Formats: sequence, structure tokens, C-alpha cells
Amino acid sequence: MIGIEVIDKPRLDGKRKALVLAEDRVGHYPEFREFFVRRFSLETNGLSRPGYVRAPSGMIYSLVFVGRSGEPFPDGIEIYALADALEPLSEGDVDTDLWALLSWMIDGIGGEWKVEDLDATGRLYQLPFLSDRG
Amino acid sequence: MIGFGLSEKPVREQAHSLDGHIANLTSLLRQLDIRNATMVCHDWGGPTGLGFALSNPDRVRALVIMSTWAWPLPPAEFHKRIFPWRMMHAPLVGPYLLGRHNALAGRGMYLSVVDRKRFRDEAQSAYENILPDPAARLLTWTWPRWIPLDDTARGLERFRSLERELKKSKFPTLLVWGREDEVFDHKTFATRFKELLPHAEGPELVTGRHFLQEDSGVEIAEKINNFLDRIDARHP
Repeated sequence: MIGIEVIDKPRLDGKRKALVLAEDRVGHYPEFREFFVRRFSLETNGLSRPGYVRAPSGMIYSLVFVGRSGEPFPDGIEIYALADALEPLSEGDVDTDLWALLSWMIDGIGGEWKVEDLDATGRLYQLPFLSDRG
Repeated sequence: MIGFGLSEKPVREQAHSLDGHIANLTSLLRQLDIRNATMVCHDWGGPTGLGFALSNPDRVRALVIMSTWAWPLPPAEFHKRIFPWRMMHAPLVGPYLLGRHNALAGRGMYLSVVDRKRFRDEAQSAYENILPDPAARLLTWTWPRWIPLDDTARGLERFRSLERELKKSKFPTLLVWGREDEVFDHKTFATRFKELLPHAEGPELVTGRHFLQEDSGVEIAEKINNFLDRIDARHP
């Protein structure tokens, strides 16, 4: 159960953007970049709008694609939680939401990249929320 | 090494490159006017330390090479596998696992020693505490991404030049390897160094996985001291 839903632009009133994860080199393995290009139509959308996803906790996240001169687009990704403006984030929820997003990404990339290997890696490094998943 | 230990921690991936780290080391050792140095090169200390030694031979007396590599290809079997190595530093996964969860300094180091209980009791917190927040941990997923996996890799030309220059090297050299190292296994990697440097002593095998100095620090120090004594005896 991955639980990530791509959504159109959400209402941003009363929200703040909280940076929760940043990647400076999304094309380190080119198939990762190609996944985001495909999933968010970046060849036509370019820098015009972020991508939005709803994660298992119900929180919406904004995926901001970063361009860098001389590099294929996108070169980086910043992930922001769209939190209630004056409320603290639940780091536990962010942690499991991000893991769901990573699982969704790996599933979408496919080929030699498998969610089972991501889960095995998470278990090897003892992510606490995976300890009861076998 | 800038980005590790108590050194400053650049916060952008683009701040790190193999050439940049060799230049950092060169700058440090020139400013300290270090001469007659013995370069003990372990893991990424291999490409960086050898990069310095081979381009500044007048400042170097000898080499000690431990669990590392200095050529472009082929990669270690360990580095070709998706699980766990390529997955753990993959885009977004790396910043998550190694950044948010400090996977290298914590569990990763623990898995890379033989005496895990002693490491956990005596050393692990020191590794974790010097990388206190995700931004400080950047190099833990950036350095793995510089290991060449195919001929499109960054740094390939630098590794080619390292291999080329290393073959010509006449530095007295000692090879020390962890018997249990499954990252740069001694049968493949120490053997290749021996082919490049037939005059090298060793490989001397000690108890140790990839971070062999955690298991055999005293023994390694004795081997290095004995090696230097032998050099002194040959060139009094």
C-alpha cells in the first residue's frame, strides 16, 4: 500500500511551506529524473508549477523542481510539506509520508528498482516504522 | 576531509568533487609545509591521498594503502548491487536515509566492523555526534555517488590518471586490508594494488571489515611503525 495520490493545485490559504527533503542531483541515476518528467509532464510544464501529492497522513506535499544551467531538467527536487500555517509538523507523519513517497517513486521507476529492495534497505537501517512490517 | 569529522560541512552537493578534495588536502599540507609524509590512505582517503601523493612526490615519503581503490573500472561487486548500496544513496533516498536518519554514522558504521558490541559501546556515538543534523551529513550520500559504476561516471578521467601514475610510482608502500572487508574484498582489491605496485609490501591482513581501523587500530599502527623502521634501516 503506497498511498500517494497526485493532485491538482491545492488551496494554499492558511498554509505554510515547510522544507522536509532536498535532492541536489535527481539525475544521478537518469531513470529517477525521467520518472518525475513523465509523472508531472515536465517537458511541457517546465518550471511553471510544482507537483502536488497527497500522502497517507493526509498532508499535501509540494514537489519543487530545480533547474540548473547546463544540466538536464530537473536537476534537483525540494519537497515541502504544506502545513497549517501556525502549527508544528509531526515529524513522525513526515517520516512515514516521505517513505511512502519514496516507495511510490521506486515503484514508478520500475525495472531493476524494486520496492522490495527499498523496504529491505529501510529494514537494514532499522527505520522504526518498518520494524512491524516483517 | 572537509564535510566529515570536525571540519566544516558544505551544504550543497555541488561543493564536493574528487578533484576539489584532492586540492583541499594539497592546500592543507602545503600550508603546514608537510614534507616526508607517510600517507595512510583508507576508503576515500585512497583516491584523495594518492591524488595528493602522486602530484606532490617531493612531500611524500611512503604510502600505506588500506581497503580502497584507485582505478576507474570495474566497480566492486558490492557497489553494483541495488540492495543495499545503490538504493541507499539513490536520488531522494540518500538524503532521506543518510540525511534524516544518519544511516552511515549509525547503523552503517556498526555493520562495517567485526566487533560490533565494542563499537556500539565505545565509538558509535562519536561518529553520530559529529554529524548532528541532516545538512551536516551531506557527504555521506555525495561521496558514494562519485564511485564510478560505468564509463559515464564523473571523475573517470581522474581515476584513469591515478591508475596511470600509480603504476609508475616508486614510493615504499605497505598494503593493509581487513580480512572480513566485503566492500573492497582483499582478494580482488589488494591483489590489484599488488599488480600495480609489485614492490609493495603485503597485503597484511588484519581483523576488520571496511572500517578496519576500528577493529585493529593498534595492530595497524604497529605494522605501520615497523614498515617505517624498515624504510629507515634501508635509508639510514
